[in-house]
Amino acid sequence: MKKDIHKVRNIGISAHIDSGKTTLTERILYYTKRIHTMHDVKGKDGVGATMDSMELEKERGITIASAATYCEWLSHEINIIDTPGHVDFTIEVERSLRVLDGAVLVLCGVAGVQSQSITVDQQMKRYKVPCIAFVNKCDRSGAHPLRVVQQLKEKLGHNAVAMQLPIGLEADFQGVIDLVSMKAIYFDGEKGETLRMEEIPPDLMQSAQDHREILIDQASLFSDELTEAILEEKAVSEEMIIAGIRQGVIRRQLTPVFIGSAYKNKGIQPLLDAVTQLLPCPLDVENQALDMNNAEQPIVLSNTTDKPLVALAFKLEDGPYGQLTYIRVYQGSLTKGDAIVNVRTRKKVKVGRVIRMHADQLEDIESIPAGYIGALFGIDCASGDSFVAPGMSLTMTSMYVPDPVISLAIFPKDTKSETNVSKALARFTKEDPTFKARVNEETGDTIISGMGELHLDVYLERMRREYQAEVTTSPPRVAYRETITQKAEFNYLHKKQTGGAGQFARVAGYMEPVQHEDLVFENQVVGGSIPTQFIAACEKGFKKSMHKGPKMEFPITGVRIVLNDGASHQVDSSDMAFQAAARGAFLQGYAKAKSVIQEPIMKVVVETPTEFQGAVMTTLTQRRGMIVGSQDEGPFSVIEAQVPLAEMFGYSTDLRSVTKGQAQFTMEFLVYRQVPQSIAEELVKKTAAEKKNVA
Amino acid sequence: MAETKRFKNKNLLIDTQRLFEFGGEPFPFKEPEFKKKISAKQTGNICYIRERNIRMLKNEFILKNPLRRMGYKSDDILQTGEFGAVMARAGVGKTAFLVQLALHSMLREKNVLHVSLNNPVKKVSLSYREVFNRITAQYEIHQTSQLWDTVLPHRFIMTFRVEGFSVPKLEERLTDLIEQDIFKPDTMIIDNIPFDDSVRKDLTVLKKLALRQGIRVWFSVRTHRHEEPGLDGLPIQLSQVAELFEVAIHLVPKGKQIQIEAFKGPGSEADFPDLLLDPATMLITDQS
Repeated sequence: MKKDIHKVRNIGISAHIDSGKTTLTERILYYTKRIHTMHDVKGKDGVGATMDSMELEKERGITIASAATYCEWLSHEINIIDTPGHVDFTIEVERSLRVLDGAVLVLCGVAGVQSQSITVDQQMKRYKVPCIAFVNKCDRSGAHPLRVVQQLKEKLGHNAVAMQLPIGLEADFQGVIDLVSMKAIYFDGEKGETLRMEEIPPDLMQSAQDHREILIDQASLFSDELTEAILEEKAVSEEMIIAGIRQGVIRRQLTPVFIGSAYKNKGIQPLLDAVTQLLPCPLDVENQALDMNNAEQPIVLSNTTDKPLVALAFKLEDGPYGQLTYIRVYQGSLTKGDAIVNVRTRKKVKVGRVIRMHADQLEDIESIPAGYIGALFGIDCASGDSFVAPGMSLTMTSMYVPDPVISLAIFPKDTKSETNVSKALARFTKEDPTFKARVNEETGDTIISGMGELHLDVYLERMRREYQAEVTTSPPRVAYRETITQKAEFNYLHKKQTGGAGQFARVAGYMEPVQHEDLVFENQVVGGSIPTQFIAACEKGFKKSMHKGPKMEFPITGVRIVLNDGASHQVDSSDMAFQAAARGAFLQGYAKAKSVIQEPIMKVVVETPTEFQGAVMTTLTQRRGMIVGSQDEGPFSVIEAQVPLAEMFGYSTDLRSVTKGQAQFTMEFLVYRQVPQSIAEELVKKTAAEKKNVA
Repeated sequence: MAETKRFKNKNLLIDTQRLFEFGGEPFPFKEPEFKKKISAKQTGNICYIRERNIRMLKNEFILKNPLRRMGYKSDDILQTGEFGAVMARAGVGKTAFLVQLALHSMLREKNVLHVSLNNPVKKVSLSYREVFNRITAQYEIHQTSQLWDTVLPHRFIMTFRVEGFSVPKLEERLTDLIEQDIFKPDTMIIDNIPFDDSVRKDLTVLKKLALRQGIRVWFSVRTHRHEEPGLDGLPIQLSQVAELFEVAIHLVPKGKQIQIEAFKGPGSEADFPDLLLDPATMLITDQS
């Protein structure tokens, strides 16, 4: 394995659907000799592109959507990593974006910046991924790359600057002018594999010079050397321009735009050059880990191999030889035979086979150094797990897993689906800690729970596509809770001494609200009024009562119980009797403690073009939302609101229709808050009706 | 010996809905009488008592407002359509002071629109939470989260980048909010607007808007150490537009304290004591 980390690029290719991401990737793999024949997406040969991600990995072999694909260009190692665009707010997105150091944003030369481009751009912005842009489909009628550059500025707020100009457009698209070297590049040969450099056609010279000036002007903002050269009117070298642009890209303040047509095999090699020249290597990017010993405070990792290991397993793949775990090393190195610790489980594991993806086979290697991506065989872990050297407690992803807030029952349509569903669930729960699945023992239903409607939708869709499991679902349910709002005393005597074995127990004390805890049990009994051996039984009784509130039968939280008195009987007191007394006492106290129902409130962030701001706010307030604020971000506005989860069902459809599909939202659990009285009454009615039905 | 144990309600993870029970063992015996009693008792008056508590808390809060001692006749200090300025050098506590004014309005169920230039929504809302926590700690008010929940709907934060801000834009947004019945502010706080040469034009437009919509507007004005005050004694930034402002408050660091001086408006008469800002908490204190 080569060890020059400066020559490693971990990149993603993101695009709007149908802007040619698949074709582009196919070409990249062909020119880097990763594959030997090219197939088109809807080609006549019927094979389909190698990376056809539209078909959701029908060709399992080396699809880009599977994990990381490796290729080489100009002795640089390029890892192309899948960036799931479909999920917006699960940790899976965060995970893959963490693994990237840079990205290529593919735009259609005709349609320009489309809604999905906006989505992926915002994701990259959120995770500070530097990017370069590629305007594809310049051979199509209506293509206008410079208009797309303008749209990048206006719609996405990028400081976009053209690196190339087209020679001819639409059907007449012949090649590109490189504004750095001031040469015309033509792509000859059957598959555009031969580059022919020529002088710029005279009629395009003026325009090229103008654009070059703009380019140098922008690049000079990031390079003192270049500024000096311009001021002193010295010759400006290509290296200086490239260095300036590279700085701008790494700081995310400049987006160089390349043009071409992947379908016509034009402009791909210069793009690959740009990936190696302009996008950051792992050393240029600052990575942070969270210190588990210090309240998850971020710590900057050093990117060097001499420090202790920190690595992230970002994707799992089930292969014929067992589970393949894709891993990125951020610090230190991962060597065969090492003992490493899974931070989540705290278990020490020994590294068995270390491999990397090579042309079309797997290659066994000795170690994966910092900044590299590789894979491990035979490591049992979930995706998103961090691995560190023994004695460390850093994690790449937050260990905080919020409780699921929404659940629904799923029913497989047939027997075949049934086995597939269980396979799928086993896999998904391993991948995503916020996704939970369980079986309801009473009804035998399979229940899945997660962080939002869309979150569950995505998994249902994946079940359908990846596991051919057809399921029907029940309506989603919100996880309500009950809690108390004031202190209440209890003094309950459980007595049953009328024949048979008697039962006698009395427990007394009080309960009061407590924040950020589910149940706090405090034993302040003195003088043995409740014998010590029965305290545990009392505790158990209280604990059991918390499972279901007497009022609405939702789980109860936020209760502190103080036990300070009681009574026992020499013969008739037993564990059973004290448990029963505790339950009775709980109900007695709970009735006086002014219980309320709480519902999960979500923090909803909507990113919308400014013109739809008012409309979006209305959709939120209609859903009982409270708008916290709006943030003006140039062409975009970010609206932050707090909305009850119960009202968020179907929001994505609503949002799409009021904003013509140009807005997107993220949602995360924020807090449990009391349900307004009118809603609470409705809930009580509903529960009563359901009770009747059950009866 | 007293002992305390903490438990996580496992049911929350598993049993999110009673229809889908799982794992919870059934009760060994039934207590139907209890349940009946409880459900009969519990519906109805819960909210009433809770609201009363919150109201009492709010009143306590309002009575403790030290600004009342500065001689302002109304709790708002400003009348509708009036402008107020809080002036200070950088880092003295303009924003903290404005946030306190805002919180006191919100506690009286008056809507506050906080317009911030440059600070993101998150930062602004954090500064509210922080000031709120400090005030509640100072007054030893407990049950803060419920109180916070009730004041929060009275606040709306709008942020702009300084270069992207313009008064017509703000006017458009504000009209949107009011017309669509999303938020109708009683008080508006504009933090960080640059008081440069073009400010007069902007403020005149804003004044009209404030009068039309009946909004009180507070501005933060950053002054500079090296600049001489204008002829009227006001900092140069404000003196050029002084006639538009009804109230001007100056935060002046004096030794270890920050003094709150009323420059203009009712509080400026000599018979009222100047208040202080506690530099540690940036809260207004009445111990002069």
